[in-house]
Amino acid sequence: MQAAAEKPARGWFVRLWRAFVEAALVPILAIITAVIGGGIIIWVVGGNPFAAYLGLLQGAFGSTRAWSETFVWATPYIFAGLAVALAFKGGLFNIGAEGQLAFGALAAAWVGYALPNLLGVQLPGYIHLPLAILAGMLVGALWGAIPGALKAYAGGHEVINTIMMNYIALNLTSFLLNGPMKDKNPLNVIARTPEIAESARLLPIFANLRIHWGFPLALLTAFLVWYLLWKTTLGFEIRTAGSNPDAAKYAGINFKRILVLTMALSGLLAGLAGAVEVTGLNYRQELGFSIGYGFDAIAIALLGKTHPLGVVLSAILFAGMRNGATRMQFLTQIPVDIISVIQALILLFVAADAIVRKIYRIKAREDRLVLTRGWGG
Amino acid sequence: MKKLYAVFAVLLVAALLLPACGASGTPDCSKPETFCVGLVTDVGKIDDKSFNQSAWEGVKQAEKDLGAVVQYIETTDAKDYAKNISTFAEAQYDVIVTVGFGLGEATTAAAQQYPGTKFIGVDQFQAAVTPGVAGLNFPEDQAGFLVGALAAQMSKSGKIGGVFGTDAVPPVWRFGEGYRAGAQYINPNIEIFIVYHSDVGFDKTFSDPEWGAATAKSMIEKGADIVFGGGGKTGNGAVIGAVEAGALGIGVDTDQYYTLPEAQKGLLSSAMKLITPGVFDLVKMAKDGAFPDGNFFGKAAYAPYHDLDSQVPAEVKAKMEEINKALLDGSLATNVSPVKP
Amino acid sequence: MDWRRFSFIGIIIILLFGVVVLIGGEQISPLIIISSMLATTLSVATPLTLGALSGIFCERAGVVNIGIEGMMLAAAFFGWLASIYMNSIFEYSPAISLTIGVLAAILTGGLFALLHAWLSITFKVDQIIGGTVINILAIGVTGFLNRQLFFDKGSIFGGNVPHAPGLLPTLSKALTVLCSGAQGCGGLPSLIAGTIFDQKPVAISAILLVIVANYVLFNTRWGLRTRAVGEHPKAADTVGIDVRRVRYINVVIGGMLAGLAGAYFTIESVPSFEPLMTNGRGFIALAAMIFGNWTPFGAWAAALVFGASQALQINLQFFRESIPPAWAFLQQSYVVGLAPYILTMLILTGVIGKTTPPAADGQPYEK
Repeated sequence: MQAAAEKPARGWFVRLWRAFVEAALVPILAIITAVIGGGIIIWVVGGNPFAAYLGLLQGAFGSTRAWSETFVWATPYIFAGLAVALAFKGGLFNIGAEGQLAFGALAAAWVGYALPNLLGVQLPGYIHLPLAILAGMLVGALWGAIPGALKAYAGGHEVINTIMMNYIALNLTSFLLNGPMKDKNPLNVIARTPEIAESARLLPIFANLRIHWGFPLALLTAFLVWYLLWKTTLGFEIRTAGSNPDAAKYAGINFKRILVLTMALSGLLAGLAGAVEVTGLNYRQELGFSIGYGFDAIAIALLGKTHPLGVVLSAILFAGMRNGATRMQFLTQIPVDIISVIQALILLFVAADAIVRKIYRIKAREDRLVLTRGWGG
Repeated sequence: MKKLYAVFAVLLVAALLLPACGASGTPDCSKPETFCVGLVTDVGKIDDKSFNQSAWEGVKQAEKDLGAVVQYIETTDAKDYAKNISTFAEAQYDVIVTVGFGLGEATTAAAQQYPGTKFIGVDQFQAAVTPGVAGLNFPEDQAGFLVGALAAQMSKSGKIGGVFGTDAVPPVWRFGEGYRAGAQYINPNIEIFIVYHSDVGFDKTFSDPEWGAATAKSMIEKGADIVFGGGGKTGNGAVIGAVEAGALGIGVDTDQYYTLPEAQKGLLSSAMKLITPGVFDLVKMAKDGAFPDGNFFGKAAYAPYHDLDSQVPAEVKAKMEEINKALLDGSLATNVSPVKP
Repeated sequence: MDWRRFSFIGIIIILLFGVVVLIGGEQISPLIIISSMLATTLSVATPLTLGALSGIFCERAGVVNIGIEGMMLAAAFFGWLASIYMNSIFEYSPAISLTIGVLAAILTGGLFALLHAWLSITFKVDQIIGGTVINILAIGVTGFLNRQLFFDKGSIFGGNVPHAPGLLPTLSKALTVLCSGAQGCGGLPSLIAGTIFDQKPVAISAILLVIVANYVLFNTRWGLRTRAVGEHPKAADTVGIDVRRVRYINVVIGGMLAGLAGAYFTIESVPSFEPLMTNGRGFIALAAMIFGNWTPFGAWAAALVFGASQALQINLQFFRESIPPAWAFLQQSYVVGLAPYILTMLILTGVIGKTTPPAADGQPYEK
């Protein structure tokens, strides 16, 4: 492999590999640097970094069960990471994945538990399940389209608007889960919805493991996002609007329409994350499920350089860290918060790739992500 | 560049090989002579100075008194409850303590999956008996009733306050309503301000001391002279805020004279649920082979007056003991519904 | 800052207060309600005001800072840590320990801001990514250190956990000590005790800093340079202003303001640190900054709106039983809690006058 990469590119495989190495080099070096940095912090406060990382790796990838749990964590991360990445491609920063995800989950749960009773019929699985997922996608898309439209037609910056809408979503979810949507079973004391019907569930892939069909669905979605962005006109327009808004205007692209559409698609993916968590894993929505995924998704999208394949890989990495942290704490009692430190360091080194390039003496290549264009839009 | 690829390859191989070699040095819980106790927190921290930490203190007492091997895992997301419990179960821990009503279902499910393990569910009411599960419950309404009665007797202004986490959590609701009932038992005309911090997300309702302090002060400005802070750090903030503003504070869960040293000079008492002894007793029963399946009721109590002992009149002390006795023997009922209706 | 925006904000605050007076006025005298709501409003608004000022300094110089939340959190932790260690290890008096704690918080904010400046000005990293890095880093570092340093040192039944030296005193208490007695200095301490002026140091300095910031930004050479760099860096450069230096300094000033906001949490409000205790107030501060159109007074007024709506939520619960049935929705604190966020969005959409950010806000400067 090493030798092949050094030769001039010939076959498609070699070219693909070189492109991958080229793109992945800095992120991988960033990860290594961050892991070393985290290890130093553990060592400074008196822990054993090797034991800690060993525990982390065991917990994340040490057994079939560990792999399964890592993929369970990765599933919402992929969807949410794609959501943020897609918005980035369109030049938009969607901090609102958190709220879109929560609403997507609520909508899917509602279709899952309430719709059959409302209609008075048992829905077959091939209708009920897609309906639940679709509901999550639609509500997420709507929740994403609002800040998109506010930016396009009223000039309100999407960062502040999506943050505000996160708070609104949070308050409304608390209200709904404590009130109208609360499981009325007298034994239930928790702010959560009733369980969704069997017909609205994504099945586990293997017996006795929690990994469910949501994971393959996430991979498929990553492929579809890639296809959309690079093989369709709409994708071209989104990317042009993101990388060069002036050119987009001259090229006759309806900038405002694309902007709203990008945010809607981004919200749709985040809503899908919530819907799949409900239909595939939790079978209900509860306060305390999926807190902070929207923010992790930002780091995942950046680490993955906003490319769908990169998002999938970094989602699995972050999922492994989250999942393995339990075992790390079990074996070494090192607080799980160290994971956040490592994640922040990874993000730091990916964002400021000049630091990494300096440490490892790699030639600079102009490739900067520009997202901020002030608040005015 | 070439060197870099070599480094890559080595790291990759190392990463793949590492998990293969198992960790050593951890005690082997599968041996019958090793008695292991594990604790899984709810979505909260082990050092919360209240709920999770009290249970952990009980487990640590088992380490000291029973020679148990102890360990904890903090849950970061509700969907990991089952995984965290099975991490202990698969390491063949003898007793697993799960803290919080949120883990109830995961605990009963795990008990069915791992019949050899004993489970202690703190604040988990058992509607039906599951073999191997003891739900450790507390009459929070009685603890609240006691401090409510105390507050009503000690208040000079006839106005008292209470700052709580969310009323969606039944034990918190029972503390709050017990407080109200106790105060009204002494003085039906007493004015009570009760505020729940339900306006934020579930993860924040118990961890907002700044809000608690601001709310307590706002009550004191309206004439309240005693504030009961019930609900994690939000409540802690309320107690500290009240004491700082010259009013008296009442703590919750444990004797907060020790956890809130800043409030000692004005801490009247605390509404205690004796989690630590409750957890320890159950662990000991498990060790002795006398584990009770089903519900196990711990005790509620009010904490000593500590620094304020001299300011509490003798007749108030006598009345408090009388109420406590009446609550314990059942001749006095708080009439608080277990869950917010 | 136009009069329209100010009167709009004034009307909102009067409305929020009025609702409570209408509902609770029969139980408690309206005067007490208003003064107590004012006090709550002021204290809730303190970290928001300082956070918004932090944002203003950064953004007037053309650097977007969404890391205010992280700066506050880190400052709250390290300021608290410094005050504890000064008190328990070096055995300074509480007053000195607390002062050092505040300074340490300001320093922490400044250092995190320096990281932000380094990333966004020197490395030209996207400024929103830089802010995100700071937010995640602050959560991780504070959570990790808080656990490592304090857990297992004792138990909930006492033990040798070092604890905080207390809290900053209110103005009247501080003056009592300084004037040697409540009747010293012409009876000033006893005069202000219990009034709206009897605030704590950080809260008072927040208000003073609003005035100072306004003066600095609009009446000094430094302010002119700052605004020039934020509006038109190329032009500023051609007249000999060192764009990068001006930006660096302003970002660090902003970080120090966020650090002072952090001190509010652990040294002025409650004497303890909790992971994530800033609870998103850094983001609300950003909203206040925009709400106030990047001016100190406007941001302060906006912070007061957020404070007043918080006061409304607390006070509505006091009088829950007196809420008329027609207004039953007010019993839902979740619903009331939505108001400030929706207001912010409305303002952003230009319903109440347009907001104009600094023209070069968020753009790295290339020579």
